[in-house]
Amino acid sequence: MVKCVEVGDAGLNDLFKGLLSSGAVDGLVVPQKSGKSVIYTLIADPEKIKNPVPFAPSFGFNAANSLRKWLIEDKILGVVFKPCEARAVNELIKLEQINPDAILLISVDCEGTFKNEDYTANADKIGDKLTGNIEGVELRAACTMCETKLGEIGDLGIAYMGLGGTTVIALNDKGEAALSKVEGLAIEDKEIDRSSLKAEIKSAGSAGRETLKKELERVNEPLKLLEVLNDCIVCKNCRDMCPVCYCKECFFEQPLGNPHGGDLLHIADTRGDVRIPPYSLFYHLTRAYHVCVTCVSCGACEDACPKGLPLTLIYPVVAKNVQDVFEYVPGADLEEPLPLTTYEEDELEPR
Amino acid sequence: MGDEFEPKILGFTCNWCTYAGADLAGTSRIQYPPNIRIIRVMCSGRMDPLFVIKALTNGADGVFMGGCHPGDCHYTKGNYYARRRIVALREVLKAFGLDERVRLRWISASEGPQFAEEVTKMVEDMKKLGPNPLKEETV
Repeated sequence: MVKCVEVGDAGLNDLFKGLLSSGAVDGLVVPQKSGKSVIYTLIADPEKIKNPVPFAPSFGFNAANSLRKWLIEDKILGVVFKPCEARAVNELIKLEQINPDAILLISVDCEGTFKNEDYTANADKIGDKLTGNIEGVELRAACTMCETKLGEIGDLGIAYMGLGGTTVIALNDKGEAALSKVEGLAIEDKEIDRSSLKAEIKSAGSAGRETLKKELERVNEPLKLLEVLNDCIVCKNCRDMCPVCYCKECFFEQPLGNPHGGDLLHIADTRGDVRIPPYSLFYHLTRAYHVCVTCVSCGACEDACPKGLPLTLIYPVVAKNVQDVFEYVPGADLEEPLPLTTYEEDELEPR
Repeated sequence: MGDEFEPKILGFTCNWCTYAGADLAGTSRIQYPPNIRIIRVMCSGRMDPLFVIKALTNGADGVFMGGCHPGDCHYTKGNYYARRRIVALREVLKAFGLDERVRLRWISASEGPQFAEEVTKMVEDMKKLGPNPLKEETV
């Protein structure tokens, strides 16, 4: 049994307003429609909630990225996020980049998303909610392998897939407390079982993943990878837009990882030659390792790449393989420690 | 010998076990190929996967890492962390065909012969695998 309220799509506006005006949250991050596009807004005044579209299948960046260093103590920020963004929030909490007490995490059902520019161009065709395939517009590669499409992460879930109407579900005591503060909601106890839908999503996700794995084979040799990275300009935008690549001082911003002047000449002297800017391969391999257990497979890296490199293959698909080894789903469980911060005495042998 | 390919292998050995094991192999006059260049680190837990990636992208044919047997770490648990990191790293490198060039072995201070054996085996394997293709590339 779970505490839940069936609000319908029309009731979401009042719910968000209620969360703000009741003081359950001091601010609310929610995606809203602006023109034909979807923008993320941080709202403090309830009256500013005009056109929230939490289910709109548009993905420009992973909004959890903007929450890094959310370490204030006396305010609560409500965030209405897609599951991949919500999982990134959980990972950032584990990495001590977000104060969990300062967040009310609300996740929504997401059937997959389009690149935000694709969404804007086809907004009339797609609408505010994804229902089935949209002809002529392709889903983002990362979404085709997604196995966590349900809003079951965090404190509150806003669900519609497999349900009669849009329903707000309290996922824990914190969520329940926040929900009960909102006036005019008829909270009821209900049995919600979406396990068959979950299994369906999982098998569709793993089928998509197999397709991407086959594609990954085109970089299964060092020289093939180097060839793909030939177009990389080492702008490091994939790092900057990655929600879980959080280091304050990245190795590739320091003299050793970002050599200039005489250092660069020295490297050329040692090796005979060096690319400019240097270290594209070193950078991408290191980043692939650094995010391998925390990558939430949102695909923000590929969207952020100005050169259109197939980064979904190099980051999420590879990271999933590593996560399989440790049987870890990043962000799914706040209590589960990060695999590389723990160990068991008897495991992983022979290496 | 002559034109036969001689791999260059970078070795990271922990101060307390594998480095002493390598030392023992030397003082016991056990023969093993000279292809390995050893860097001593204080613990296998100090071996940042970044070192391995940098070595490989710079053209090292292989990276050998040695640590104390599980349960024997001088710092109690450094080798357990190292094991998880290297397993993760190898899984990442597997996608790009570089995983076979990286290995982690447990060699204690008394296992001189085992150290020589592991190095010999690695050199043989790297010879079979051929040179690191990145060696001749501009990276």
